[in-house]
Amino acid sequence: MTTDKQTLSKVLPVTRRQLLVKGAMASGGLALGLTLPGCSTSKSKMTESGAWQSNAWLEIDTAGKVTFTLDRVEMGQGTYTGLTTLIAEELDQAPDSIEVVFAPAAQVYRNKDYGLQITGGSNSISSSWLPMRQAAASARAMVLEAAADVFQTNTSQLTLADGKVSVVGTQKTIAIGELVGLASKKDIPDEPVLKASSDFKYIGKHSKRLDSLAKVKGEAGFGIDAVVEGMAYAVVIHAPAIGARLTGHDGSALSGRKGFIAVSEIDSGLAVVATSYWSARKFAGEIKAEWELPEKPITSLETFELYRETADSDSGDSVRSEGDIDAGFNDASSRTVELEFELPFLAHATMEPMNCVAHVQENRADIWASTQGPDIAQVVVAKATHLDLDEVFVHSQFVGGGFGRRLNQDFIGEAAEISKSVGMPVKLVWSREDDMRNDFYRPASLHRMRAAIDENGSVSAWDHHIIAPGVMDYYVWDAAPAMFPFAPKFMYPMLGKVGLATAGTPMTPADTSAYEGANDLEYAFGAQEVRYSKADIGVPVGYWRAVGHSHNGFTTESFIDACADAAGKDSLEFRLALLKDNPRMAGVLKLAAEKGGWNTPPAKDIYRGIAAHKSFGSYVAELVELSVESGQIKVHKVVCAIDCGTVVNPDIVTMQMESCVVFGLTAALYGEITFEDGLATQSNFHDYQMVRNNECPEIDVHIVESTESPTGVGEPGLPPLAAAMASAIHKATGERQTRLPFKLA
Amino acid sequence: MKFTLNGQSVALDVDPDMPLLWALRDEANLKGTKFGCGMGLCGACTVHLNGQAIRSCITPISSVVGQQVTTIEGLSKDDQLHPVQQAWVEHNVPQCGYCQPGQIMSASSLLNSNSAPTDEDIDNVMSGNICRCGTYPRIRKAIKSASQKNALNQDSEINDLAYEVKV
Repeated sequence: MTTDKQTLSKVLPVTRRQLLVKGAMASGGLALGLTLPGCSTSKSKMTESGAWQSNAWLEIDTAGKVTFTLDRVEMGQGTYTGLTTLIAEELDQAPDSIEVVFAPAAQVYRNKDYGLQITGGSNSISSSWLPMRQAAASARAMVLEAAADVFQTNTSQLTLADGKVSVVGTQKTIAIGELVGLASKKDIPDEPVLKASSDFKYIGKHSKRLDSLAKVKGEAGFGIDAVVEGMAYAVVIHAPAIGARLTGHDGSALSGRKGFIAVSEIDSGLAVVATSYWSARKFAGEIKAEWELPEKPITSLETFELYRETADSDSGDSVRSEGDIDAGFNDASSRTVELEFELPFLAHATMEPMNCVAHVQENRADIWASTQGPDIAQVVVAKATHLDLDEVFVHSQFVGGGFGRRLNQDFIGEAAEISKSVGMPVKLVWSREDDMRNDFYRPASLHRMRAAIDENGSVSAWDHHIIAPGVMDYYVWDAAPAMFPFAPKFMYPMLGKVGLATAGTPMTPADTSAYEGANDLEYAFGAQEVRYSKADIGVPVGYWRAVGHSHNGFTTESFIDACADAAGKDSLEFRLALLKDNPRMAGVLKLAAEKGGWNTPPAKDIYRGIAAHKSFGSYVAELVELSVESGQIKVHKVVCAIDCGTVVNPDIVTMQMESCVVFGLTAALYGEITFEDGLATQSNFHDYQMVRNNECPEIDVHIVESTESPTGVGEPGLPPLAAAMASAIHKATGERQTRLPFKLA
Repeated sequence: MKFTLNGQSVALDVDPDMPLLWALRDEANLKGTKFGCGMGLCGACTVHLNGQAIRSCITPISSVVGQQVTTIEGLSKDDQLHPVQQAWVEHNVPQCGYCQPGQIMSASSLLNSNSAPTDEDIDNVMSGNICRCGTYPRIRKAIKSASQKNALNQDSEINDLAYEVKV
């Protein structure tokens, strides 16, 4: 369905839509602080081709074709289908009748939860739930007003469905395309009336993905597939250690070679440009690059030494404090449980390695990329070139896996720098080795946990000390300027500094990446302290699927399991007793337990564990069945229960749970990036293993019916998995697993 | 370098050691075959050589001269999806979709040689293809459903096999 537009966007330097949006920005219309499409700053207008642009998201042409501008990128999580379904519902026409195009970078498309045009944090549905339905409902209201003029009747006598307006009780109809001229002149309603949920035709029901067909035919255009006429291909020789600087190179042997174009020193290393990717890659192998190595290269051993020293010397910032934990720990009748957890750095390993097509010219740059943040891409390109933000045009493509990696856009900056340097469009493609060794890794962390179990077997005191770096320290430098696009370039570093200095004040959100999912537990402990000490060895870190929750789902739920054990209680009953006032969390636990047969004996040599965690607004419980044979952990089955409020597309929710389980299983069994001499030891899939089809368990997903507002699904299925596994491993072996990936003694 | 690509003869003027993957993507402009690892570890680059799945990222183009290469673009015929592609759509398999052309080429090759694969057969063949989105359970279901459809419609199976051999 999108293929033509996708192909078009690859060959045209600027799409018509981008010119329109650019024009609107220049006139100050659409761009200024618009959060709801229905509010009066939004403009409805006819385009040059005679289509009606009812707002920044919807265009309806005279043939009745509806085009939806999707402002949350599609990276597998299902925005392409989910957000289109919201539009389809209010226009009352099938989701697959709507053409979807990817949004350019523009302030109107900012994610209102972040003030940035980013896709992440599992909030695409929750943040679009009202605005996208309002965008379509407002277009519907204007179409009905137009039809009321035509039929000389009242809008209450009219209905819109399947692209035509009908007069109730008559045979009279008119196609939506015939009404666009008239509709464009109608006032945009301030508060468009939304459909009642009881009237939903597609929300909660529609289940087929709209992007499947293009994806099974190999026609979906990813960043790596973009082509620009006359482009060259580039590879980058990256530093052999974090912190190493290029001091020189000798590429003289390459001049005059067939296909060779240039070698160029760029900020992150040495770019080699040729007429094909393969020649660029081969030439790169023939160049001698000289590097100044850091005095003290990073090693993994030192990372955890630093964390332990920090834990010993710093009590940390309090990120949650309730009651008096000392009273609990000092109570002579209580038992104290203590554990230390260690979690590694992790790579994202998206299947599509980092890549970008950049065409930097005198007065504009065009960027074709798989990116989770087109406006941050503008900043990165502006920094790498002489251009301003509004001279950078980002053509978003299908994303071959994001998981947070594509919020950091170093690869886009590299491509822009190379294109500028050689004066032609270039396609930069990283090798898998580049990708694995130049990641913004999921932070490694250390957790010291202590709990007092009182004589009733309940948790009277809970103390959790987290030692980890902060993701914002690496992310802020490009994100802050994107939030303040009118700031001159020389202020960019200052914006980053101010962002960090004011984090946690009303000006800037706190960097919760290390302790999210630890300081918002739902359990009713007698008293609790959650403390955070920042410690940073210098490994670049970034967002990763569920980020802090990926640590804390494991540590807190494993520790609860240890507490239940110390109290001599069943781990499910122990949790439920602490969740008396939390029906949603208790609900998913009970559902997973019921569907997974918690109260029935497992098959021979099969062990069960259960865990639950709330993240991104959603409650997920997972019950794991595994066996341990000859030192090998094999997960046979995972029963997952999720409560994510109102469900837009049930099968996509199920897919995301399956996805999180497999992603979490890879991390639990294999995921670990280590550093030696300043470089990631792992380089490709032979030494950074992924769970493969033969290791994939049966996954049985159950969704709680709910009328609450929709919450996240892209990440919440991940955090409980490793803890549920650890509990089952404990039963199987008697060993308490306190580090990931699991290593059996 | 002359070979048959999706039923058409092609001649590409490239280095003999250029991996087939890059010849397909950058010279023949067929973007459906994906780059994932460059070492034959992930399967994203899977295509058929004379009907058999191979990893195009480690196959020098010189080694396919005179032979039949089929890519994802050549799998469906006359706009009619291959039974494996159909099953993929029916089971809502793709998420990000990047690895799926490779998965589909591996699965269709499996069904070419084994029309009713067991779980173990599926494990053996499909474990060469990594999916970071975790679509494995649906891939397994889709392969079984495509294989059952083949069993129900022997003619169509024979046609598909003949097609594979012909191209």
